[in-house]
Amino acid sequence: MKRVFKMRFLTLIASSLLFTSSALALDAPKGPVILTVKGTLAHANVGGTAQFDLEMLEKLDGRTGKMKTPWTEGETSFSGPLLRAILKEAGATGSQLQVKALNDYFAEIPIEDAENLNTILATRQNGKVMSIREKGPLFLIYPFDQDPALYNEKYFSRSVWQIKEIEVKP
Amino acid sequence: MTPATPFGGEVIRRASRTTAALQIFGVILLGILVSIYIDISNRQGNLEDAVRENAMWSVYQLDREADELLHSLKEVIEGGLKEASNRERLSLRFDIVFSRMDVLRKSKFEQGFSADNEVKSRLEQVQDMIMHLDPVFSKLTQIDFATVDSVELLSRASALSEATGALLVYTNTLTSEERAQNRLEVEALQQKAFLIVGLLSLSVLLLIVGLRRQLRGVQAAGASLEAMAQELTVSYQAAEAGNRAKSQFMATMGHEIRTPLNAILGMVELLELNKLPEDALSRVRTIRRSGEALLDTINEILDYAKIEHGKLELEERPVDLVSLAENSAEMMRGRATEAGTRIAVDLPHRWHARHVLADPTRLRQVMLNLMSNAVKFTSEGTVTLRMRQQVRQSEVWLRVEVQDTGIGIGEEGRKKLFRPFSQVDASISRRYGGTGLGLTICKEIVDRFGGRIGVESSIGFGSTFWFEVPVKATEAPATEQDVETPKAFASIAPLRILLAEDNKINQQVILGYLSHLGQTATVAENGQVALEFASQQDFDLILMDMQMPIMDGIEATRCLRDPMSRNKNVPIVALTANASEEDRRRCINVGMTSFQAKPISLAALHALLKGITPLPTIQTESASNDPLLTDPINPPKHGLAAVADRRQEIEDILGADAFEELMAAFFDDAVDLLNSLNVSMQDGRKENFDTLLHNLKGAAANIGLEEIALRAQTLRKRELTLADIDELSQQIRAAQTALAA
Repeated sequence: MKRVFKMRFLTLIASSLLFTSSALALDAPKGPVILTVKGTLAHANVGGTAQFDLEMLEKLDGRTGKMKTPWTEGETSFSGPLLRAILKEAGATGSQLQVKALNDYFAEIPIEDAENLNTILATRQNGKVMSIREKGPLFLIYPFDQDPALYNEKYFSRSVWQIKEIEVKP
Repeated sequence: MTPATPFGGEVIRRASRTTAALQIFGVILLGILVSIYIDISNRQGNLEDAVRENAMWSVYQLDREADELLHSLKEVIEGGLKEASNRERLSLRFDIVFSRMDVLRKSKFEQGFSADNEVKSRLEQVQDMIMHLDPVFSKLTQIDFATVDSVELLSRASALSEATGALLVYTNTLTSEERAQNRLEVEALQQKAFLIVGLLSLSVLLLIVGLRRQLRGVQAAGASLEAMAQELTVSYQAAEAGNRAKSQFMATMGHEIRTPLNAILGMVELLELNKLPEDALSRVRTIRRSGEALLDTINEILDYAKIEHGKLELEERPVDLVSLAENSAEMMRGRATEAGTRIAVDLPHRWHARHVLADPTRLRQVMLNLMSNAVKFTSEGTVTLRMRQQVRQSEVWLRVEVQDTGIGIGEEGRKKLFRPFSQVDASISRRYGGTGLGLTICKEIVDRFGGRIGVESSIGFGSTFWFEVPVKATEAPATEQDVETPKAFASIAPLRILLAEDNKINQQVILGYLSHLGQTATVAENGQVALEFASQQDFDLILMDMQMPIMDGIEATRCLRDPMSRNKNVPIVALTANASEEDRRRCINVGMTSFQAKPISLAALHALLKGITPLPTIQTESASNDPLLTDPINPPKHGLAAVADRRQEIEDILGADAFEELMAAFFDDAVDLLNSLNVSMQDGRKENFDTLLHNLKGAAANIGLEEIALRAQTLRKRELTLADIDELSQQIRAAQTALAA
């Protein structure tokens, strides 16, 4: 009898906590949505997905790295939120990320790439917001500057640009 | 071992040349291989293929997006352009096409094809088409769509799609061609690498073969070296054995030469004791000096042989350095005086140790040798014998210097000294003679003492030869020995002496000496005979030769010392020409009392006899009356019987001593007479013969030596020869010996 009561009480607290945290963690985007995170999310904000505008993304933990890439000329600086900060913000859990571009190109990325590497979703190239013509609005950038071993085709193919959506898979 | 294949050296050399060549070849091949590898890895490492793959992908993407744009445009046109969402959709599609275009234009991808002008022009064509479309699509969201010529737009989009499609096909063909080309190149490189690896393997194989050959050569060389070493050992042993045999031969020959020489010198010494005419005396002296010089030379050679043989041994006896120095100087004085040279002795006022333990014989030998050299090379000067002592690290060192005022030795000559058989120069050996061994022997002896020897000299100013040896201080002996006072011998009570000696001449010498000292002796020619005598009679002294036939001195002494022996306590003195330390030990071990090196000098014999006290005699009969005591080799029995008769006669008349005196006088006279005969013979004065022989005959008859008298009488009647005189003198000596016994 006592045990059943305790269970109920815990469920109540858990559900109230869930509600409070989702309300606290992720506001609805105010500007144009540039990224939608789908999948099992703890902090969804719009219809079970986590949607972000530029401002929301740029508020998250991020980094700026100066590096050479196969797609740019010379040293280029990329800045943007860390991929793991975005996933945390969305409360996403899973093992695989499907990163989808505007032209429906997609790449499968293991979650470790987000957790163990300082991978960012670059919002800016050389300090300027990237247009679609300039591979914007978001560009998945591996830290080629921090680990030269990443500079190969395996990671080039995972470096999706013109990103519109990340689906977190179990 | 033939010179053609010494240790298989040629094989080794050839093999190592091959190895070296192969090594160089191998290094070159390795270099080529490395360069090929670098080439291949460059081709693979610079992402060329990957870039081209990506370029292909980009072209494909561009074509796909262009198709997508055309498709969307068709849909939107069919559905009407007015819807804002449709317009945005078209704008997005165009942006994507534009960005794809941009990727191709800006990124490095196109570099994969930039060499190909066709690709470049086609790319530019596509770019132009997109740029023409840009103003329309950029304004699509703002402008009124009525102004847009949809047919025109559609045909341009369709043209774009065709152009990108053509570009895709073209680049794909190009990529395939280049890939094939690349594959061919890599294959060629791989073939080259394969060839090089093959060659490398071959050279490694050859290297192994070469090394094996080299190894086999080295092994063969090792084996032949070993064989050679064995051969060398055998040769060395043979040479060593030869050398030993030579040394042994020298020792034996030296002994053989020394024995008769000792007899000559002994006889000469005896001769000198007689009253001789002055001219004869000087000749006898010449004989003695020559004999002594010959003995010195032989002794030097023997010493050197001993040194080479490793048999030089030192003994330790108490030595009085003062008497050693003075005796040595005294011994040289005679020769020095002849050369008009003075000998000075310079001794320290205070000694650290005047009496030391050392080998006096060897010390004296070195000193005499140095002094003899000094005297030899000095005329009318001074030779100084100097002794000094020093204490170094609680050891007493004796320094002996022999300084002369002679001709001196130059730098070159000094280097040659102390080397065997070398003299300062050839003219020295011509002028001064000598074996050239003296200093070598001195050096060996001083080395054996653990000392040093050296010389300081300059030409015209004389030389100083010196040596230093460590000595051990000892107590002064209770009685001073070795005080030689030649020719003034105190008389000694008659002793019963047994002489065991096989050599006739030695017998005569010792008997002569003994008779000079007023002694007689029983003679035994070997140990066996000596034992027989000793079992029948008491003796006061036995002089025992070491080397005798049938039974040697050692064995005889052993038997004599038997507790049952009659003469078990009698002093036995060993006599030997081989005076080595080993002999000395053997003598003492079997119970000999002392030891005398042959030739024994008159003085030494006197000193020896002085130390013997005669035991009270039981037998009263005279030794000469005992038939057993007669010399078995010289048995003129009837002669001796006649003497005995005569003796009886004289003793009866004049007393016992009178006959002895008469007999002594006869033998003295006999020697004189024989000398005179010899001199006359030499001078050719035959007229003297008759008188001399007559005198001899009379004197012999006087004491009953009838045989000698008869012989002298016979000789008077015919031509006298030297052999006759010899025979006569031998007969006299035999009689003397017989009577002395």
